Amino acid sequence: MTGHVLKAIIEFAVFTLQNDERGFFMIKLQNVSKKFLNFQAIKSVSLTINQGEIHGIIGASGAGKSTLLRVMNLLEIPDEGEVEVNGHHLTSLSNKDLRQERKSIGMIFQQFNLVANKTVYENVAVSLQLANFPRKEQRSRVMTCLEFVGLESFSEKYPAQLSGGEKQRVAIARALANSPRVLLCDEPTSSLDPNTTAEILGVLENVNKKLGVTIVIVSHEMDVIKGICNRVTVLANGEIYDTVFIEPRRIHIIDHSPRYFVEKLTADGEMSDA
Amino acid sequence: MPEIVIQYQAEILSSIGETFVMVGVSILAAVLLGLPVGTFLFLLRKGQVLENRFAFSTVNLLVNIIRSFPFLLLVVFLIPFTRFVIGTAIGTAAATVPLAIIAIAHYSRLVEQALLDVPKGVMEAAISMGASVNEIIVKFLYVEARSGLVLGLTTSIISFISYSTIMGVVGGGGIGDFAIRYGYQQFKTDLMIYMIMIMVILVQLIQFIGTTVSRLIDKR
Repeated sequence: MTGHVLKAIIEFAVFTLQNDERGFFMIKLQNVSKKFLNFQAIKSVSLTINQGEIHGIIGASGAGKSTLLRVMNLLEIPDEGEVEVNGHHLTSLSNKDLRQERKSIGMIFQQFNLVANKTVYENVAVSLQLANFPRKEQRSRVMTCLEFVGLESFSEKYPAQLSGGEKQRVAIARALANSPRVLLCDEPTSSLDPNTTAEILGVLENVNKKLGVTIVIVSHEMDVIKGICNRVTVLANGEIYDTVFIEPRRIHIIDHSPRYFVEKLTADGEMSDA
Repeated sequence: MPEIVIQYQAEILSSIGETFVMVGVSILAAVLLGLPVGTFLFLLRKGQVLENRFAFSTVNLLVNIIRSFPFLLLVVFLIPFTRFVIGTAIGTAAATVPLAIIAIAHYSRLVEQALLDVPKGVMEAAISMGASVNEIIVKFLYVEARSGLVLGLTTSIISFISYSTIMGVVGGGGIGDFAIRYGYQQFKTDLMIYMIMIMVILVQLIQFIGTTVSRLIDKR
């Protein structure tokens, strides 16, 4: 009996992951192209991202990774093609409706992009204000989000007083404030050290597992992609080279003690491990 | 207090009052109209949310033309317009018209510069959160650029004081006009020097306030 239920669940999961056409998808791009001046950033890309997935996008510089991600909330408006997110065709929405839709698509960036003149609290609260979140409940919602990323005691600090990892946590809290269905991550750990990277990936994993948010993550770092994604799209020259399923393996936290550095530096031929 | 200053106390006080009126109107014009014009200059640029090459070029050209006039010529040139708006081209009220116009052009340029210092990523974050143009301006741009906006206004106010000193040509009065008429033209050099000292103190005070405020509100 239990076996049957389990089998059904597994079949359902496989169906969800593999069935691109019949629902269960969160983001669907169809023949999307974008050109900057003379540079064709992405060429007729079609991609479906399923609900609940952590989807990686990897590729060399200039492969079109960021453009592909930024098309998903129309931060970059495609020249051609359809963008569908959470059941809405973004490409055919009015400006007003598009703004509304963007409130349920969170986004975080390599440079965090916090408002430096706002406190941590205000940075998260502004996201609620934009969505006309009931004023009386704002305080508790902001604090819930800050607790989720472990920064509840930082609410009155300014971004300049935080480390890179803490800034990215604030950015995640801000992106989560309006309970989005999707979180778009543009090189979220590329300006962080390896330990902080592992920390942020842990937070993103929680966002996915505990809150059920679909995550799309762009990175040029293989460790990041391998450490967290279920499925990865490899881009080359603006086109999809391949899409592969992987088993996420948590990246190990790298030792940063001075002894480790000395050992690594003096160990012949093992530098590439570092 | 020096005897000569006491002797002309009434005239000095009223000329200080006139300067305050002229500079005050300039500040109002700068904040109420220069700030929006400068914001448009920024938002109409390429790659910004209201990108519009034609509108940008038009506003940009207009601001440049106003700023290229030697100010004395602008005052004379605007006499018909001033007469149309105020009913007369002579007096302190009439003097505020050309001052307001140069104030708008002057401050709008400094606003544009201050807004250009806001990191592009902050704008992107605002857009990705679904902010409207008004929300981007009020909740992001002005918040992030506020110390630059204050410093720019400080620079502008000091220029307005300088501009106001030549308004004697249309009977605008003010400290500068008093210094010229009583100090220079009536050979009371000491009186002129006292007037210059008042101006120096005024400018020092404004710059000090401006710098302090901009530092206090800058959390970057």
